[in-house]
Amino acid sequence: MSDQTHMPAGHDLAPGDEEQHSVGERVLGYVVGLGLALILTATSFFIAGTDLVWQPSIPVALIVLAIAQMGVHLVFFLHITTGPDNTNNVLALAFGLLVVFLVVGGTVWIMSHLNQNMPPMDDFIRMHS
Amino acid sequence: MSMTATAGRAHADPHHIGLVIEHPGPAPKRTVTAYGFWVFLLSDIVMFSCFFAAYAVLVNQTADGPKGSEIFEQRNVAIETVCLLLSSFTCGMASIAADVRNRFWFYLGMAVTCVLGLIFLAIEFREFADLVSRGYGPSRSAFLSAFFSLVGCHGLHVSAGVLWLLTMMAQVFAKGFRADVLRRMMCFALFWHALDIIWVGVFSVVYLLGGGA
Amino acid sequence: MQAVPTLEALMLGKLDWSAIPFDQPIPLIAGGVVLVAILAVLIWVVVKGHLPYLWHEWITSVDHKRIGVMYILLASVMLLRGGSDAIMMRIQQAIAYQSQGYLPPEHYNQIFSAHGTIMIFFVAMPFVIGLMNLVVPLQLGVRDVAFPTLNSVGFWLTATGALLVNLSLVIGEFARTGWLAFPPLSELSYSPGVGVDYYAWSLQISGVGTLVAGINLVTTVLKLRTKGMNYLRMPMFCWTTLASNLLIVAAFPILTATLAMLLLDRYLGFHFFTNEAGGNVMMFMNLIWAWGHPEVYILVLPAFGIFSEVVSTFSGKALFGYRSMVLATMAICVISFMVWLHHFFTMGAGPDVNAIFGIASMIIAVPTGVKIYNWLFTMYGGRIRFATPMLWAVGFMVTFIIGGLTGVLVAVPPADFMLHNSMFLVAHFHNVIIGGVLFGAFAGFEYWFPKAFGFRLDERWGKLAFWFTFTGFWITFVPLYAAGMLGMTRRLQHYNVAEWRPWMIVAAIGMAVLSIGVICQIMQLVVSIRNREALRDRTGDPWDGRSLEWATSSPPPVFNFAFHPDVRGEDAYWDMKIAAQQQSLEHDVPEYQDIEMPRNSPTGFVCAFFATIMGFALIWHIWWMVILGGIGAFATFVVFAWRDHDEYVIPAAEVAAIDRVNLEERRSLVSMAGAI
Repeated sequence: MSDQTHMPAGHDLAPGDEEQHSVGERVLGYVVGLGLALILTATSFFIAGTDLVWQPSIPVALIVLAIAQMGVHLVFFLHITTGPDNTNNVLALAFGLLVVFLVVGGTVWIMSHLNQNMPPMDDFIRMHS
Repeated sequence: MSMTATAGRAHADPHHIGLVIEHPGPAPKRTVTAYGFWVFLLSDIVMFSCFFAAYAVLVNQTADGPKGSEIFEQRNVAIETVCLLLSSFTCGMASIAADVRNRFWFYLGMAVTCVLGLIFLAIEFREFADLVSRGYGPSRSAFLSAFFSLVGCHGLHVSAGVLWLLTMMAQVFAKGFRADVLRRMMCFALFWHALDIIWVGVFSVVYLLGGGA
Repeated sequence: MQAVPTLEALMLGKLDWSAIPFDQPIPLIAGGVVLVAILAVLIWVVVKGHLPYLWHEWITSVDHKRIGVMYILLASVMLLRGGSDAIMMRIQQAIAYQSQGYLPPEHYNQIFSAHGTIMIFFVAMPFVIGLMNLVVPLQLGVRDVAFPTLNSVGFWLTATGALLVNLSLVIGEFARTGWLAFPPLSELSYSPGVGVDYYAWSLQISGVGTLVAGINLVTTVLKLRTKGMNYLRMPMFCWTTLASNLLIVAAFPILTATLAMLLLDRYLGFHFFTNEAGGNVMMFMNLIWAWGHPEVYILVLPAFGIFSEVVSTFSGKALFGYRSMVLATMAICVISFMVWLHHFFTMGAGPDVNAIFGIASMIIAVPTGVKIYNWLFTMYGGRIRFATPMLWAVGFMVTFIIGGLTGVLVAVPPADFMLHNSMFLVAHFHNVIIGGVLFGAFAGFEYWFPKAFGFRLDERWGKLAFWFTFTGFWITFVPLYAAGMLGMTRRLQHYNVAEWRPWMIVAAIGMAVLSIGVICQIMQLVVSIRNREALRDRTGDPWDGRSLEWATSSPPPVFNFAFHPDVRGEDAYWDMKIAAQQQSLEHDVPEYQDIEMPRNSPTGFVCAFFATIMGFALIWHIWWMVILGGIGAFATFVVFAWRDHDEYVIPAAEVAAIDRVNLEERRSLVSMAGAI
């Protein structure tokens, strides 16, 4: 194993590593990322507190904005791309996201059914009092 | 091993599916280290997902205690978010500085990152202390338990990150930009950026979605 | 803030003399015997002057082979502990008909909890992780795992967990809640003692160790492969290792989070799983099984890999349906995350949810079935040698199919409503875990032992061990199926139903036969070590193997391979052997080069020392010690990060000298084979 900062052709890129760019280009990448992230964040905070949009759309909008911002972070800060030198990194990410989706989605789904069929003690008492 | 080089090319493509790209051999250390850390981060995100799931399940179990909308202060959260976003940017600057071995910009970037992280922690600590003093501690209701653990778990990660950050600065000071120090710096940057991603989930799901309801 | 705590409470937390169970002779005597044994071994080591050897060659070693061996040693010792628990339970249930038996309920409950915890976390896990550690870098043709020092940390943290569980035998108590510590029973109001804390903290600490091992092996398989080792040329064991460790990385954080919630409930009065203030007990079942089901595949997938290697080697054929095997492995890896609800069908999720998870549970049997057929077709038409590893493999197929079929049975929700928490279920999961994981671990142990130590194991004792274990297993667990069908529930300390009794007596007899199998296994080791010169493996290829671990000497040199092998197809080493025979032998002298290897490091051991302190202090609420342990662990890593030389060089001349000996032995073997 050698201690090179940048690897010879044929290997996957390390997660977080960018392809060869000048310092200026790299800084620019972070600036763009920061700008986009700030805009998306501001939009999220604005939408959550406003009466200007149709209220039921707010949760959906917030989730969409959150996912978009996570994407911005992944691309501009963590430098995850769709290039062939990033395949392994993206596959690991995809597996992680699949598990996150299964755990969160599964838990919410299962627990909502459980709560319906066998309400927690507090709800039960409230329903019968 | 003299026998190794003798196997025939016929075995290269036993199923005759066409071109076989030969694997080039073990990857360089930088890729290996960063990939291992990447896998760790994904596992950490799975851990967070459990706290998110628990929060989603327990969010309405307030046990006649306060609801999210009654205790969240959007202004504080906005300041916290801006702190973290800026710190992600300065952390990126520090890692560029490390790559071009510029000590001044490295220290500056890391120091600003550290200060922003500490401001974030201070605001979060004040929020927690304030809630506890009002009697809305984590043992008040299941909702507050889930809230405190999810947000607190992120806070703990940030604290660990600050400790790591200071250790990194000390190490660069003592050892310079050695290959192993640069690898650690790279992992640190991944860690710090990943915390930001988690925070995006936290402020969207906990503060904005939970605050509106 | 009520009263100011006394100095004693500050210094010792909840710890006092009542923690030592003077009134319970069984754990006290057992603990005393173990303590004397440990002391005797320690004194022997010190007096004989083995301590420096042990420290430099093993405790601080970062060599994946040494760490693998230590994992397996830990697993074997813990197997004896967990096995003793099993024997005690079988005896208790055989005699506790209309009587209290010889174990009081609170002790019996600790035993079944400890049995499950130890067998899963400290036997099955370290055994398979040990085998993966030992073999995978060799099969991939590389010199070490991705993170050698972290590997050592992982092992020692696992050992810490095991130590804490066993400490509970003499200081305090263990959980009485079953191996998954379901709330509300495991909450503070129902389990105020330290038992659940012992359970949770030892699992948290060893869980970190397991996660580290998982990250390490995933990275090793994906990033460290020798030249030409494309994904579809990896031995099947590497594929199952990849799948299993991906599951570790994805599932163990769920366990960590769930136990953290339970601990927050217990230590800081949170309300995740309590009955009050909106806590939800069901969420614990949901989360813990979201880890728990992938966990069983974490254990059994490496075993599938071992059987693939063993069946192919001892049938003298390439593995049948290699690609379908890879697909089946990865399919199991993903589907295992979609079935966890079948562990709590009866808890009221309703028909929609139950139906979907029931179907998913049946679907996961399909890739498993694919694997069984592949092994059978590998054997078909092969020249089969029934060496001990192959016996375990064949025994596995029979056992696992039956265990798997009873699994498909309880995957049907209505059937599960009848069988849930019955002895039938106990029989089912022992059927798959013993028949799958333990048989696999034994097969791998017999198969790779010569590689690790340079001599084969005695075949006669090995076969005896197999037959006793195999028969003993069936005599023990078929009665449990029957008792389950008669309505016997699990975890009964005593019972009053006459029909169950004969089955319990037969099961106890089976346990005796099973124990003879374990004794044979120990005898096999003793006899083999005595006859090691006669059993010596000089060629490094005692079984006529097919993958790269057999291409180096037994035991392999610290650098594994003088050159990274160049792989051109599946069954890399087999191809090399064929090619070497066809082209007679090249006698060119290769150009040896210096090899850099990672230096030994006490980081793992020291870190585990502080983790032990921290774990113990957390269990007993000794807060100053917790802080001390935390600072110590952090300091250990800083010291490690500060070191200046992390590698040492083995000069080319030394590499050449070591490699030539091996090449000579091998040449004589190949030319002999060529002559036939």
